[in-house]
Amino acid sequence: MKNPTQYLISAALLCAAFLVLPARASEGPSDAKGPVVLPPTVLALPVEQAILTSPPHVPPPIKRNYSARVIVNLEVLEVVGKLADGVEYTFWTYGGSVPGSFIRIREGDVVEFHLNNHPSSKLPHNIDLHAVTGPGGGATSTFTAPGHSSQFTFQALNPGLYVYHCATAPVPMHIGNGMYGLILVEPKGGMPPIDKEYYVMQGEFYTSGRYGEEGLQSFDMGKAIDEHPAYVLFNGSVGSLVGDKAITANVGEHVRIYFGVGGPNLTSSFHVIGEIFDRVYPEAGLSLPNANVQTTLVPSGGATMVEFKVDVPGTYIMVDHSLTRAFNKGALGMLKVNGAEDRVIYSGKEIDAVYLGAQAEAGSDSAKREAELKQKILAEIRSNPAIAGLTKEMQVEKGKQVYMGLCFACHQMDGKGLPGAFPPLAGSDYMLADRDRAIRTVLKGMTGPVTVNGVTFNSAMPPQEAVLTDAQIADVLTYVYNSWGNTGDAFTRDQVKAIRNEQH
Amino acid sequence: MSTTPAFRLGALALGLLAGVELCAAGIENRESKIENSAMVLIPAGVYVPLQRTAKDPAQVAVASFRLDAQPVTNAEFLAFVTAHPKWRRSQVSRLFADSSYLENWASDLEPGPKAPLNAPVVRVSWFAARAYARAAGKRLPTTAEWELAAGAGYTGLDGRNDEALNRDLYAWLARPVPAVLADVGTAKPNFHGARGLHGLVWEWVDDFNTAMVTGESRGDSGLERDLFCGSGSIGANDTGNYAAFMRQALRSSLKGNNTTTSLGFRCAADLPTR
Amino acid sequence: MFGSDLLPIMKNAAVLIALFLVAASVPNVGASLDDARGRPQGTPLQEKACCAATEKPAAPKDACCAAKSAPKPAACCPATPAPAPKACCPAPAKTENPESETENYTKESLYQLEVTFTDDTGKTVALGDLRGRPVVLNMFFASCGYACPLTVTDLLAIQERLPAAQRAQTLFVLVSFDIARDTTEVLAKYRAQRALDGQWVLLRGPDDSVRELAALLGVKYKQEADGMFSHSNLVTILNREGEIVHQRQGLKGGLEEAAAALAAVK
Repeated sequence: MKNPTQYLISAALLCAAFLVLPARASEGPSDAKGPVVLPPTVLALPVEQAILTSPPHVPPPIKRNYSARVIVNLEVLEVVGKLADGVEYTFWTYGGSVPGSFIRIREGDVVEFHLNNHPSSKLPHNIDLHAVTGPGGGATSTFTAPGHSSQFTFQALNPGLYVYHCATAPVPMHIGNGMYGLILVEPKGGMPPIDKEYYVMQGEFYTSGRYGEEGLQSFDMGKAIDEHPAYVLFNGSVGSLVGDKAITANVGEHVRIYFGVGGPNLTSSFHVIGEIFDRVYPEAGLSLPNANVQTTLVPSGGATMVEFKVDVPGTYIMVDHSLTRAFNKGALGMLKVNGAEDRVIYSGKEIDAVYLGAQAEAGSDSAKREAELKQKILAEIRSNPAIAGLTKEMQVEKGKQVYMGLCFACHQMDGKGLPGAFPPLAGSDYMLADRDRAIRTVLKGMTGPVTVNGVTFNSAMPPQEAVLTDAQIADVLTYVYNSWGNTGDAFTRDQVKAIRNEQH
Repeated sequence: MSTTPAFRLGALALGLLAGVELCAAGIENRESKIENSAMVLIPAGVYVPLQRTAKDPAQVAVASFRLDAQPVTNAEFLAFVTAHPKWRRSQVSRLFADSSYLENWASDLEPGPKAPLNAPVVRVSWFAARAYARAAGKRLPTTAEWELAAGAGYTGLDGRNDEALNRDLYAWLARPVPAVLADVGTAKPNFHGARGLHGLVWEWVDDFNTAMVTGESRGDSGLERDLFCGSGSIGANDTGNYAAFMRQALRSSLKGNNTTTSLGFRCAADLPTR
Repeated sequence: MFGSDLLPIMKNAAVLIALFLVAASVPNVGASLDDARGRPQGTPLQEKACCAATEKPAAPKDACCAAKSAPKPAACCPATPAPAPKACCPAPAKTENPESETENYTKESLYQLEVTFTDDTGKTVALGDLRGRPVVLNMFFASCGYACPLTVTDLLAIQERLPAAQRAQTLFVLVSFDIARDTTEVLAKYRAQRALDGQWVLLRGPDDSVRELAALLGVKYKQEADGMFSHSNLVTILNREGEIVHQRQGLKGGLEEAAAALAAVK
């Protein structure tokens, strides 16, 4: 059930595609809808500016017991920063940090959100707040060109801890460059009081170079698609929570960590070595905290809150318990606890002795033999034309699909080409005269003058060797050689392969 | 590909001649521009749209055309605003250029230290770029034309696997916009002889407002009919080509009066009819 | 769609229908709507004299050109006859480069965009010719099967609920994306089909005019392979100076807001 206010706000969220600028008269026409007409009950709410903090800090708890209109000003900055010692990266950030500024509001608050894209930005950005109820979570409403600013309003309907992130194409790249953060919507009764609160977020980085390779690294889309990050990090850089930058607590204190995963892809197995979470709010839902959890699973684009009392002094390592990420890719942070020892709870090392276990079994050979057999069967299928080969008719049919997807734009459906621009294939003396040359032309492309049926053409055909497989080229040529009055034998993929591999 | 060098030289020569012709026919005194306004011939080819509807062809044939060999420089734009006071920073209507138009220039008619004369002009709106092109007897390239020209590598027609080009492009993408842009001459020419299509600045295209993404890029596979008439895109053909996505996203975020610190332009022209 | 031999008949029919509408609508609209067909007659009374002056086709060349260079000739005449400006005024020194002739438009007036269109009677209409009237502006194409008809229906509803005095003033302007297919005849036929009265201005334009107007309004559009258009749905309300006072986005709702914005135009 929605009250009228919520309808109004939903209307603002439903707004159309290009809400980029707030209505600002001096900047010409705006396609923004203009500020939402808030009802008097909302207008009467006290207005406050949200306090934003960079990680690992969290804004102070909300003390008020009433709703407010909260103004959030978040700036998008593209900045070069340190990914690891000697390794630089151009981070795309909300507020200059990875993760972005922590936003803290209260259930029922009406949030006037301003996204300001710094003039030095190369790209447009936007924000999808998982705390928003409405299409895109604010993404369409905040799509903002460099040097511009967007505004939209939403009401925080559901309490909890939510991820926000950029949703501009290509989304994985924007997130992969650091565009994520957390927004906490406190329940009306507030979060239970606690001694220390911290903000930690995990995200992975797909750099062109391997882990530790020095210099300014760029984003590698191939690695992102394969989900092979070079870095998996807490708070955006190796060592962001280590040494002097470790988070701290004193013996006897209760600690709460607001932990989120920006991704773009990986799920985290969040664990603090040597601690048991007294309480975990699974998936950051507030209703049923779990007690006594060792490791909690946090999905990409999700969050959790963990609480624990620190009883024993020392350094506690926070990890993604998918451990090569922690030890080889950087997903590691520290909590330093100061105070007096309690050897009843934790004694320290008491005894050091030698232990001889049984030798590990050697693996059997049977698996190896099975694999060899499978290879043999596969090779047999491949070499038997009755099974693997295509009849000419099938090739023509398949080739037609290739042609209609790729070739017809220039050579036309009827194979007659475009006079003055693209040569015909139907009855083409040039093409029919030399089958190998035809294969070569498809593979390597062609530029410069060519005379077909007495007419000279001078245009460019792009090479298809990176686009089409040998089989597809064989099929499309078989189609072309057997259409529009042309006749010819089928092409085989081996013929194509031979030309593909020929030396110049 | 043995014909390549000769072909390319021919194209360049033709382009140069054409550039001179155009300037001679220009409607204003632009003597200083002649050497800079060289154009190159982009041969006919195919453009593969990044996003298309189910009914659209996978490839679009593009007729050959001429394209400026390099982006328009501050010096060239200075000549333009000198001749056309309406487009000076202090006089332009906010409808046609937002408040950061030429903001890096020292004054109306003085680019100054942050805008070296031979660096590409940026912080120009689409309306301003269009007016410039019109004054030069040219036009802005279409998306298809621009992408076709920029699809070439340094050494061949197809830049997709040109490692050197991709390295330069991605290195550029990985860096923030420098406070002062480099001279256009520092960019390496591509196969067509055009410099700086990648790795210098983004560039306006004439039909930038055909980029029909909503900012909610995840939903663009089915644009809401209430927002956009017509069938939505069926999505991208080459999801790995993220540089193209970034250009698409940038175009769709812009309005005609917008200017940014990394957005310039160059002009195109039809081939003379024979 | 139609055999080519049918086309002339269709065109003639469209013209006939249009003519019929002109004839039929004039007596119906009464004194306050003496401008039932075409905007030239529909301009506010005080401007009529001016328009009459510039529209005189028989005016000697010099006089015509003099009129053209007078302070605000175009602004007062919603529809300058097509051949008039070019034919009789040989040197508006740079037609390509019109900054020389700066009208006294306000800083936010869209009419600063110097583009021209053709209406469904074949008359040339500069954007600035719309000055002086409240305007409801929408871009569309005649063969649109979904959004545009709905929008036109909404605009008709807005027109319907306007008080009579305001209805006589307000122009509803449809500008087509479809340069190739939305000919003068097609637009005239569209007017007839949708029973759009004389307050409606149906415009087609050269590519440059359409693209620049779209860019100015923030309308995105793209022609698809089948000739149809994807486009933003955006209705813009302009005050008498051509300044945007309201934009409705999307298809559903927003009628009250649009009507209220229109009513607020003084």
